[in-house]
Amino acid sequence: MAKISFHHSDGNVDVLDVDPGTSIMRAAVTNGVDGIIGECGGQAMCATCHVYVRPEYLDGLPGIGDDEEEMLDCTTEERDGDRSRLGCQLKAGEAFDSIEVDLPASQI
Amino acid sequence: MTAEALEARPVPTADWVTIPDLHRNPFPIFRKMRDEAPVHWVPAVNRYMVTSYEACHIIENDQELYSANETNSLMKRAMGHSMLRKDDPEHDVDRKSYGSVLRPKAIKEHWNAIFQANSDKYLARFKAAGPGADLIREYAAPYAAENLRLIMGFHNATQEDMQRWSQTMINGTGNYADDPEVWAASEQSYNEVDDAIDEILPYLRKNPDSSLLSGMTSMPIPLEAIRANMKMTIGGGLNEPRDVLGVAVWALLSHPEQLDRVLADTSLFPAVFEESVRWVAPIGMYPRETTRDTVLEGVQLPKGARLGVVVGAANRDPKVFEDPESFNIFRAKKPHLAFGGGNHYCAGAWVAKASVAGIALPQLFAELPDLRLDPAQPAVDAGWVFRGMTSLPVLWDNNK
Repeated sequence: MAKISFHHSDGNVDVLDVDPGTSIMRAAVTNGVDGIIGECGGQAMCATCHVYVRPEYLDGLPGIGDDEEEMLDCTTEERDGDRSRLGCQLKAGEAFDSIEVDLPASQI
Repeated sequence: MTAEALEARPVPTADWVTIPDLHRNPFPIFRKMRDEAPVHWVPAVNRYMVTSYEACHIIENDQELYSANETNSLMKRAMGHSMLRKDDPEHDVDRKSYGSVLRPKAIKEHWNAIFQANSDKYLARFKAAGPGADLIREYAAPYAAENLRLIMGFHNATQEDMQRWSQTMINGTGNYADDPEVWAASEQSYNEVDDAIDEILPYLRKNPDSSLLSGMTSMPIPLEAIRANMKMTIGGGLNEPRDVLGVAVWALLSHPEQLDRVLADTSLFPAVFEESVRWVAPIGMYPRETTRDTVLEGVQLPKGARLGVVVGAANRDPKVFEDPESFNIFRAKKPHLAFGGGNHYCAGAWVAKASVAGIALPQLFAELPDLRLDPAQPAVDAGWVFRGMTSLPVLWDNNK
């Protein structure tokens, strides 16, 4: 099992234990975590699963692919050069065993 | 027995629903159904119509339980077996064959300039038609058709061909009445599209460009799938941008306070687009089929149930959208379902946003002073599976 912590702007945190292979986006959508939409179901084409990865978890994450790079320039909230990632591209057990992200104010 | 099964109720029947009523104005019908239950068996449509946002959202995100590969599909007959009626992994192979042609980078680098040229061309044609002209026939339809023609790579066809192919094959897809004339017209277009594909593919192999068909020539995808997907794209990428463009203009012209705010701040056009496509989803309903007995939002459904996912109704669910029947570009942002969701999320969504919100709407309002509805010729909206303006006569000050 891997652990994902979603930090909301109001200070609340949702912590999920997920099976390996589950993306941050899929974990949020399946468990009704507010603040992530995932409109395109993980195809890296809608930019509505935008997350800010907490700095201490950036090391060891897989690099940003071409499609993800393109979509990170289409997010509603401003892109953070270091921390912004698409939640659908980061999978538990592959990209991370434990991760904490801050959610943007809006995905649309 | 599970708690869910204990609370589940049989699906209610809505035998008062008629297709002519839906076609004229589906929204009061959707409202009445949705207030009563999230799903109804509707004899006139021969489907279980799903009208709540939550139930539609559940369906979109569970392709294993709610399959797109429905039995006796009219679309498969009218267009061939496209990706729209497949589940993953087969669907994903087809979907990936579209590559990056419709994605934001290609739009910024290539398609926006083409959309602009087409908007210039058809706006000039519209102005020449003069005040009282129909914005749909003289601008929105040819604009959408010509954009799609070039996106797809049909250099050997006209935008009029595209419009004819689109409408006749859509009519075939909706031919529940099994009207032989509708099938004949649909089949003629089916064959013409195949002929056009056969003719253009060799040309595009020698002269590659940014189009979908050009991209196909180097993709591991069988010709049969290309044929079906091109027909599906003709059916899904022409009427829809045309319709959201028409509804957006009509909505703004009918809501002067919002129009004034938009004219003063053109950064609002994306919000106009999103609210237009929520308020009147260009595709109001699409099908799914259950793969086993299930309970959906408390309603029992049998295996093999023919569902209608009524996103036109979900988009006006008061549980999600406050005062949902009103057009309000300033409403709190909540995600609508007009582009679908999940693996079948509309591949043309960015094309629609760029061509309509990014180019057409701002240009129309910038170049047609005092654009307004024609009091002598009423605008007409119609349809429910597909809905938009069938007639939008407008006036503007031609002397400026």
